[in-house]
Amino acid sequence: MTLTRSWSRLTPAGKIVVPLLAIVVALTVALLLGMVTGIVPAITGAVLDTLEANVGIVRFVVAILAVLLFTIPTAFIVGYLELKAIAFMNLRLGPNRVGPWGTLAAAFHGFKILAKEDFTPTGADVPVFTLAPAVVFLAPVLAFLVLPFAPGLFGQDMNIALLYFFAMGGLGVVGLMMAGWSSFNKYSLLGALRAAAQIISYEIPLTLSVVGLILLAGTLSLNQIVLNQQGSFLDWYVWQQPLGFAIFFIAATAEGNRTPFDLTEADSEIVAGFATEYSGMRFGFFYFAEYVNVFLLSALTVVLYFGGWLAPIDIGAVLHQVGLTFDPALDPGSLGLGLLLGILIVPPLAIVALALPFWAFRSGLPFWKALVVGFLLFNVIAAGATLLWAVASFEVVEGLLWFMAKTYVFVAILVWMRATLPRVRIDQLMGFAWKWLLPAALVNLFVTALALIVIDAVKG
Amino acid sequence: MSTTPQARVRSLDDPELYVETPATIFDAIPPYPPRTEREAEFYSVREGEMLINLGPQHPSTHGVLRVVLKIDGERVVDLDPVLGYLHRGVEKICENSDWHMVVSHCDPLEYIASMFSELVPVMAAEKLLDVEVPRRAEYIRVLACELNRISSHALFMGWLALDLGGLTPILYGFIERDEIVEMLAALTGQKLLFNYMRIGGVNGDLNHEFMSRLGDWMGHAAQRIEDSQTLINENEIFVKRTRGLGVIDRETALRMCLSGPPLRATGIPYDVRRAHPYGVYPELEFEIPTREEGDSYARYQLHLDEIKQSIHIIDQVLHKLPDGPVMAKLPRLLRPRPGRAFAAIESPRGQYAVYAMSDGTDQPFRLRIHDPSYFNLQSVGLLTPGHLIADTMAIMASLDPIMGGVDK
Repeated sequence: MTLTRSWSRLTPAGKIVVPLLAIVVALTVALLLGMVTGIVPAITGAVLDTLEANVGIVRFVVAILAVLLFTIPTAFIVGYLELKAIAFMNLRLGPNRVGPWGTLAAAFHGFKILAKEDFTPTGADVPVFTLAPAVVFLAPVLAFLVLPFAPGLFGQDMNIALLYFFAMGGLGVVGLMMAGWSSFNKYSLLGALRAAAQIISYEIPLTLSVVGLILLAGTLSLNQIVLNQQGSFLDWYVWQQPLGFAIFFIAATAEGNRTPFDLTEADSEIVAGFATEYSGMRFGFFYFAEYVNVFLLSALTVVLYFGGWLAPIDIGAVLHQVGLTFDPALDPGSLGLGLLLGILIVPPLAIVALALPFWAFRSGLPFWKALVVGFLLFNVIAAGATLLWAVASFEVVEGLLWFMAKTYVFVAILVWMRATLPRVRIDQLMGFAWKWLLPAALVNLFVTALALIVIDAVKG
Repeated sequence: MSTTPQARVRSLDDPELYVETPATIFDAIPPYPPRTEREAEFYSVREGEMLINLGPQHPSTHGVLRVVLKIDGERVVDLDPVLGYLHRGVEKICENSDWHMVVSHCDPLEYIASMFSELVPVMAAEKLLDVEVPRRAEYIRVLACELNRISSHALFMGWLALDLGGLTPILYGFIERDEIVEMLAALTGQKLLFNYMRIGGVNGDLNHEFMSRLGDWMGHAAQRIEDSQTLINENEIFVKRTRGLGVIDRETALRMCLSGPPLRATGIPYDVRRAHPYGVYPELEFEIPTREEGDSYARYQLHLDEIKQSIHIIDQVLHKLPDGPVMAKLPRLLRPRPGRAFAAIESPRGQYAVYAMSDGTDQPFRLRIHDPSYFNLQSVGLLTPGHLIADTMAIMASLDPIMGGVDK
């Protein structure tokens, strides 16, 4: 009964998609069951062979899925940061109800948006109106694919990664134009035209500002660019390309439609620009895209100018010089039965040991409460120790930590700018791009090229 | 959505009117047919131009102002302000209320600084009744008004920045407003519409909580105003967006009947507190800050200067405050003499005046309210054409209209 009612409520498109989805899910489950149980060995063999033959495609699919999943927590974290950091700068408390310090507020905003009505205004161009948020959201997701997070942790290692990155970044404006045009609203139209003018204008200084860096690096591969900056923090490209960095960061702010260049949504002028007519999850996609974009631009800044996943100083080497050597090589298998004993005996003893001081020094605290505190403390210590061990033994973990830390510094700077600066006007925005950023980028390119030639001549 | 052209269909807006094609959303900006020559000219759109509705529900029209903009790309070619969305007929209601009720009806006109909009009818009634207001009451009136002026100006600075896209200054402005509003709530029992002024005095003497809050606030007010102005005063983007924007020269300002900060920003030191002194202002010492430029930035800076002068006035009032009653002895039912009275004060937005006629009954025969917001807002039509859409907000915010007073 419920099923029939749900079915009759589906849109025509939904009536096609839902059975298809069911078939795909059923097939996948059947295939997996067949593989696991080995009932039909032929299937297993055939599937494995197909996967092996198309390893490139498999890698791509896995990478794009991972990136797609990665955007969700990223958007929530950046969104929370924006709520909370701007609140503190505004002398407000910010979100403080859901979760500790309101950390779940952004996630609950996401759920709330899912539950809201998806409204399509009269006169809208429905297919374009529906597709636009997906285009806007997928552009940064596709750009994520070439971003190196840590040594060996990236979607695809392209030799034209930087070019691809800018191409995908520029794709977002198509989605904004679609949204603005199809909404059948004059404010949306103005926002879309602003977006087109702004993003296309700023793409030029953005791309030109990294040409000097490309000359230095001799490659367009983001992995290689990071590897070129190996050493201490003095080897990062920001010291060789300070002007390039400044131009890049300003232009990237404009690319991401962030304050002071958030003219496309300018809520005090054109209400919300291209997003005026959107509601529900379609509006949510725009927000997702914005936050993902913030992360993405910060990440690219870090990769290009701040050494990506590399540590500012090689801690291992420094420790070695001091005389401390830390050998994290730990083989749990060598302990044999002792490992089992350790797992069984050490945690309870440690919990009791940690609980005892609380029980002893806090009068009136029941012992079970002290045990809970001990349990929590033990977990924190164990997690910390595991993390420390992972950082020491795996390059990927260490690299990822450094990368995230650096990226969130730039995310914080973008949030800070949003809380601090008013918005520029459209003519000032365009004037700034064409009269200041573009010549400066050209000067940067010229000086870099000249310096390279001079150094070559002196050396050779 | 494309509409197929049909022969003759009734217009969506006027059933009496036949149009060639059914009006789409894009065409449906009234009035059809135009009522005046000016409307006919304005609503006939040339090639490349577009009409766009700014308001009545828009984040930066400060209430329910509706402006129809005729734009060419981003540039505003012409505009047509449409007023009356908040019209309540206060003047007419006042004719059917007795003099005490008039105060309450006038209270929400200038709702950001309602001490002023309730003081004026009170002063007009006192002139008709020939009442001598106790000196302590006069001083308390000055105190309450100047506090309210500061709270209104603090909010103005935040609003201007908010309309230019800055998120933070409005909340810094709200700190001052919050503290002052709490203070006045301790004094009057209300936070927005105080109903504190009474014909013949004020409603209640200063109390301990008010004085202690005021003392706390006076200790750090000047310093904090200085602090919060560093947020935007030297900000390159803010200065570039407001300097040289919406410039009014002196002759135009006088012709447009501007008053308050927009007038003083053009260099004319007209302030009702000095030009036509009322209350105890002659006994107090303060300057009338002026600026020469007449642009949005000058108006913003003028507000800062006026806050400093107001703090100075409050300081003097606290030193000079005499003892005595706060209400004159008056009968419950007020029957002023038949006649006319005009009272004007300097509100945060300019000259706020009331012209009252009495026929000897307990109700005013006629009460005409002159609200400065209305006259300042007129100049938008003169200042905006030729500027960009974004500048419309900067100009409108710098004129600081309150729609409650404009629409009455």
